[in-house]
Amino acid sequence: MEGFVAKQVHDYQNGKISRRGLIEILTLAATTAYAGRNADAAEQSGLDATLVNHVSYTCPDFRRAADWYSMVFNLDQVGATARDVALPFGKKGEKPYGVTVDDVPLTHIICRTRSLDASAGNGPPRRKANAVIDHIAVTVADFDRERAKAQLTAMGVKNVRDGGPFSVYVNDPFGYEIQIGGLRVTAICGAETRATCSDNR
Amino acid sequence: MERFIADLVQGLDSGQIDRREFCKTVALAAAVYGAGDAAQAQAQRGFKIIGINHMSYTCPDYTKARDWYASVLNMKSEATRDDGKRANLMFGPEPGKGGSFLVTRSPSSVASGSAGAKSGSEAVIDHICYTIPNWDEARVRATLKAKGLDVTGRDGSLHVYDPFDYDVQIASAAVENAFRR
Repeated sequence: MEGFVAKQVHDYQNGKISRRGLIEILTLAATTAYAGRNADAAEQSGLDATLVNHVSYTCPDFRRAADWYSMVFNLDQVGATARDVALPFGKKGEKPYGVTVDDVPLTHIICRTRSLDASAGNGPPRRKANAVIDHIAVTVADFDRERAKAQLTAMGVKNVRDGGPFSVYVNDPFGYEIQIGGLRVTAICGAETRATCSDNR
Repeated sequence: MERFIADLVQGLDSGQIDRREFCKTVALAAAVYGAGDAAQAQAQRGFKIIGINHMSYTCPDYTKARDWYASVLNMKSEATRDDGKRANLMFGPEPGKGGSFLVTRSPSSVASGSAGAKSGSEAVIDHICYTIPNWDEARVRATLKAKGLDVTGRDGSLHVYDPFDYDVQIASAAVENAFRR
């Protein structure tokens, strides 16, 4: 708690936060501590992200992108508007794979056409990020690399290339890189297991 | 097909093609037709998507991003995969059982087979939204504020920026659901 307060005071004295901001933060921290969730814990325990809710994909023609993702991944398009559409990873009523709790909806892609500085959450224009999600990998059922390559080629997908023994890379119609693999591609593949577990991510 | 064969029959009848040529042509047409059907059927069978496996996030300092996502979203960094250029941050179900991970990487780290951040794509993933189960509005807001983050958005669907000004959305199942748009 002390360290947390000291940091806030330091920020206040250096003009990083206002007096009112300092009061609000310390009040919240103190009351949270009173409720048994002290500020140290708050600093260390964040929010439990359980699943990707959605990926917000912005491109010059969202309909074209959506049709491509629908074709390649058998995704329905729901809730279409004049500028976006959602593609859930399953049917209504289905639960996400591997998730046991009830209040986690299916992941979906939202294909959009809009300005990149469109407001983030009803706030001011979105900041220009100094980071990029350069590719996304999706897990598909019963993945087999050679079969997947043949399947993608038959669907007219271009630039299909290997991503190690257990995945492939493709580019969508706007050149965005998508990796497709199976459940064997995980975060814990170590150097000793790379022969049997993809390390191409 | 019917019209094509009718034309062939007319050619046969008029002597423009002989019987042997007629038979070969019909057989070939049938084979091509069948192959086309098969190709079309194959094309209609897309993949059955299970979920997001991982997202590759390239930024100037992967450690800063790693620490932020671990702190704010309780993602767990897999120590054996932190090689000084990248880290794998796990969240959700267990690895191999539907779990996802975020790869935070420095620009010098590019996945094999990937074009990395220099792909020249016309599309951008402008934000990722994460689901927080058992949503408690006051607790979520207090947690974010305690992390020193400015929060925008509406109840059940909040936005913050990570250290590299990447937009991160945090939402409840009730508010962000594809079937309730």
